[in-house]
Amino acid sequence: MLDGASGVVVTVGHAGRARFGLLRRHRTPILLLLPSLSLLGAVVAYPILDTFITAFFKTDPMGRRTAFVAFDHFRALAKDSLFRQILGQTALWTVLSVSLKTLFGLVAALVLHTGLPGMRVARLLVILPWAFSLPIAAILWRWIYDSQMGMLNLLLTTIGLTGHTWLADPGLAFGATLTVSVWTGVPFMALVFLAGLQGIPEELYEAGRIDGAGRWQEFGYLTMPLLKPTFVVATLLSAVWTFNSFVLVHVITGGGPLHATDILVTFLYKSAFEWLSFGQASAMALVTFFILLVFSVVYVRLYYREEMLSQ
Amino acid sequence: MNLVRTGAIYLLLGLLLFGMLFPFYVMLVTSLKPMGEVFTSPPTWLPRAPTLRSYIEVWRAIPLGRFFLNSLIIALGAAGLTLACAVPAGYALARYRFPGRSLVLYAILVTQMFSPVVVIITLFKVLTAYRMLNTYASLIVTNAAFALAFSLWMLTGFFQSVPREIEEAARIDGCTTTQAVLKVLVPLAAPGVATTVIYTFILAWNEFIFALTFISSTRMQPLTVGLASFIGRFTVEWNNLMAGSLLATLPVILLFLLVERHLVKGLSAGALK
Repeated sequence: MLDGASGVVVTVGHAGRARFGLLRRHRTPILLLLPSLSLLGAVVAYPILDTFITAFFKTDPMGRRTAFVAFDHFRALAKDSLFRQILGQTALWTVLSVSLKTLFGLVAALVLHTGLPGMRVARLLVILPWAFSLPIAAILWRWIYDSQMGMLNLLLTTIGLTGHTWLADPGLAFGATLTVSVWTGVPFMALVFLAGLQGIPEELYEAGRIDGAGRWQEFGYLTMPLLKPTFVVATLLSAVWTFNSFVLVHVITGGGPLHATDILVTFLYKSAFEWLSFGQASAMALVTFFILLVFSVVYVRLYYREEMLSQ
Repeated sequence: MNLVRTGAIYLLLGLLLFGMLFPFYVMLVTSLKPMGEVFTSPPTWLPRAPTLRSYIEVWRAIPLGRFFLNSLIIALGAAGLTLACAVPAGYALARYRFPGRSLVLYAILVTQMFSPVVVIITLFKVLTAYRMLNTYASLIVTNAAFALAFSLWMLTGFFQSVPREIEEAARIDGCTTTQAVLKVLVPLAAPGVATTVIYTFILAWNEFIFALTFISSTRMQPLTVGLASFIGRFTVEWNNLMAGSLLATLPVILLFLLVERHLVKGLSAGALK
């Protein structure tokens, strides 16, 4: 089956035939790709298409489309002050969480990269939280935040501060949930930055030292610029994941109290599976899709433009 | 000066490790407390009478064995399906030149950008229509699809790094192309294949949102959803839950230790540079 990359080349001239010839000529790679493409088609491409269509329809509680309503769902969303609040919270959530993950991850990587005694063990310990699945991390933190029996309040009272009802207080729940998000994201950042640091040739530092660069100059003019590609990829991936942090929010607070911790994905999920307004939820899914798409494209474009300018 | 710097580095490391490890301390200590001590307020720093009873009790308190079995079937199934799709596709992308090749590579990468929430509504409707809710297959297929992008890129890279001549030599020795791929190329790309399998396994083992949506019967729930659903109960037996969570994470930690070194190396040698 894997043999026979050579197909018969059909005479050019008739467009349909030529395309058919193309298919036959590349029959082997197409056949080899078929399982992957059908899997992605069934699980990713088709559902996205269907969701896009549903976004313009009224639906029954089973999710079936009943009547075309054009942009009604989107208009309703634009007017909904709760939805706007959730959009703002999602932006704040993503920006704050990714910034803190990056900061702590970078510091961790720099510390681990010093190669001082004990750093090999420390590396394992720093990336350990990565092994825990997000649902389990969320369960664990719910227990840590427990106002009566939780150990965070014990820790705070031990060092002379006061405890709080972290998850029931709308003013605190967002920060508390965000902390968990940062905690779960630092290992990836540390690991990636560590890999980036290890990829910088030692000779560059030697050259820098010969030219009389101090430690901070070394960091500012050598390490940081050379880490930039790593930085871009890592923060982009992290931003997409953080934006999508359904599990943490769902398990820790369920989006409450009073939607204080809801982000786009949890709100969308509730809209579909609790309130059964599938049309509205599909419209939100479309918004989510485009936010991620635009974000990724702009982010990568900005980076490459800078790359070109600096050359 | 150097002493100050070293001291500062270790202080920073200490703070960092405290932040990263404090939750594990809580987890471990809670799992070692007897039931009565878990519900004291304020809690104790160390169990007064440490016991391993939670690690036995939890198997009775919740159907942990069943959850393990479900997770194992789903994770192995997803790893197998991903591999079955990614090996031929990776081979095609590494060895053949055809129009749309880079388009395929990027289109697959783009699927990584999607939120599962965007596709979940339709998948739920389709699975309901085909009476596929509460089946392993529903989770095996979705997990495999979401692990495919990483696996394909990984395998394509590894296959490209194996020289064509080795494969041709195998063919001269009388192997068919299929045999050459399975007996020569795949073993040579073993680190890539292993990483792919482990990545998919962990991804499926830890998956939550699809399982939450597609599985409603306790008998079919994987560990993640099974454990989380016990928080909703009236009183949560936290010591049992912590013991169960640690047990559920053990396989992942073992796999993780296996690939940790390769992961750092792979990242520094691979696409992130």
